[in-house]
Amino acid sequence: MTDVKALAQERQQMFVNVYRGKIPTRIPINSILSLEACIEYAGANQAEVLWDMTKAEPIFEKVNTDFPADTPAGGTRRYPSFYQILGSRPFVMSSEGVMQHPNVQGMEPEDYDDFIAAPYDTMIEKIYPRLYTELDTDPNTKALILAKAMRAHGDEFALLAQIGARMRAKFGFASIPSSATTAPFDFLADFLRSFTGICSDIRRYPDKVIAACEALTPILIKKGKLPVPSKIGVTSIPLHMGPYLRTKDFEKFYWPSLKKQVEVLTEMGINVSLFVEHDFMRFLDHLSELPENTILRFEYGDPKLVSEKLGSKFIISGFYPVMLLHTGTKEQCIDKAKELIDILAPGGRYIFNTDKGAMDMHGNITENLKAVIEFVREYGKYDNPDEPYDLSKDPMPPAEKIVAEIEANLNSKYYQTWEQYRANHPELEGRPQEVIAKKIKKLEDDMFNFIINLGS
Amino acid sequence: MDRLLLLTQAISDLDEEKVFQILDELIAENPSDEEVQEIVAACQRGMIIVGELFDSDDYYVADLIFAGELMSKAVEVLKPIICSRKKDTIGTIVLGTVKGDLHDIGKNIFKGMAETEGFEVHDLGIDVEPDVFVAKVKQIEPQIVAMSAVLTIALNSMKNTVDALKKAGLREKVKIIIGGNPVTEDSCKRIGADAFTTIAGEGVDICKKWIVNSIA
Repeated sequence: MTDVKALAQERQQMFVNVYRGKIPTRIPINSILSLEACIEYAGANQAEVLWDMTKAEPIFEKVNTDFPADTPAGGTRRYPSFYQILGSRPFVMSSEGVMQHPNVQGMEPEDYDDFIAAPYDTMIEKIYPRLYTELDTDPNTKALILAKAMRAHGDEFALLAQIGARMRAKFGFASIPSSATTAPFDFLADFLRSFTGICSDIRRYPDKVIAACEALTPILIKKGKLPVPSKIGVTSIPLHMGPYLRTKDFEKFYWPSLKKQVEVLTEMGINVSLFVEHDFMRFLDHLSELPENTILRFEYGDPKLVSEKLGSKFIISGFYPVMLLHTGTKEQCIDKAKELIDILAPGGRYIFNTDKGAMDMHGNITENLKAVIEFVREYGKYDNPDEPYDLSKDPMPPAEKIVAEIEANLNSKYYQTWEQYRANHPELEGRPQEVIAKKIKKLEDDMFNFIINLGS
Repeated sequence: MDRLLLLTQAISDLDEEKVFQILDELIAENPSDEEVQEIVAACQRGMIIVGELFDSDDYYVADLIFAGELMSKAVEVLKPIICSRKKDTIGTIVLGTVKGDLHDIGKNIFKGMAETEGFEVHDLGIDVEPDVFVAKVKQIEPQIVAMSAVLTIALNSMKNTVDALKKAGLREKVKIIIGGNPVTEDSCKRIGADAFTTIAGEGVDICKKWIVNSIA
């Protein structure tokens, strides 16, 4: 076996063990460099690379070589191509070439009732033409704009997947299917009602906010489905608005739909990875209600308290202050890594990661990050690893069944399950149903994922 | 109970319905200039209590934002009456989110609070080039320049903006305050600003002190 293949296998087993709550051979190290930081490190132009991701491949090669973490660097779902075609307001490129999210509002308070009855359709009919100015036009132009944008979206993701496969082959990364979705309240707040709008809504129309989150939950569960059936996989959910709410508002508006979403995704065989953004120390008891082996990546807070309250049930990550890598000395950086590992690693439910990704490469991060990765790789070896967890004994999770049920109840005139489609197309009688079904379903899902991606 | 006290209470409770019920009653009685000033003051006292409840962790950012919404709606209702007399501004601020950053929620909270304190605020918006700050400062001659950012990468833009003001010979004519999540004492020094804050209300207090001290 080549070294790279052996490394890939080692990493695969490390992650499988951690995701199943078993002690791995050593602490997995997440890559912490954002795409922007990678581009800066390679001395390339931000806008040029984001517009032409083929230019990212040599950049990733350089970064993965120089900063040998256990997961690949970079990656984004924010490409200027389709946002440009759509005339995007929620995501725009700043003068410095960085994609950012201004405070926008695509949904009016009057839209709540329609939205609650049919969220997917209301997004398509009313909300997106406000968020994406090029869709605010006649139906033919709109159809062509959407076709171009979806083509761009598909191309960008396909290219990133190809690059990802080549990086895995070259650097021996693990191969674990992944997906991403959004918490219902955050989805409603971020692009639809806006940060400022939702703050008024929870006081003016509390019941409608709750109903809207409930209506969104199945859609955002479906969005978090893995791209391929698998016994293991990770779905990331970045949390946003929770810490800005009073605890009783958090309990009323934010938590119930998120909890439900995480529970169902877990039932689908997925390890949900929550980016617990900002300070969640008020909500540790809530987090403790989540299913075992949910991954919790913390930004701020008290690692000791988290370890005590959550460390034996959940996989903890984050906490390492990325600013220290920028501004600290090598010694300070290594001391910090040691301190966190000593608190969080015992028991094995731990992945090394920073409190947030590095957005750029200012200060001493180049040297410090190299030193920290080297340190964690050595210091993070467990002397009591569990047996390699054997996935083949696990049953296949009922993900398809759960999602099929959601799809059948979407109440959308734009989304059709294969059964609904088939019923309207008798001409398909006698044709190879299984092959056709697969294709039609994939196209519908590609469109669904594209549409939901535009909403968060 | 005095209706002004009830108004203060309703604002601090964030009870929108009650706030506008009381305001409608008071306005219907055709208040004098002096009485309008008392109404505004009652609202502001409510906002101060909101700030205290925020400091004591009874309220969070979402509540502050709604309080800001209530206050601006109240000012909207009172405006036709306020506009009938000239209000003295206590000072002028040129405000903007610096180049490379598109976030404006904190900036807007600061703006709203500064305006209710009597500042005239010239808001340059987001992703503002240093030259745009310089041109506006030349034109308006404010006492204060306020720069906002959320992204750490925008701290360099703050420094570039201060440098541009220096180069244009304007640095000594203004006080500079920076605000936003990433600013610290260290970055404040490096950037060459006079003050920093991560809390909008504290920023407004600093600006008020500057104005008072410059008059004294």
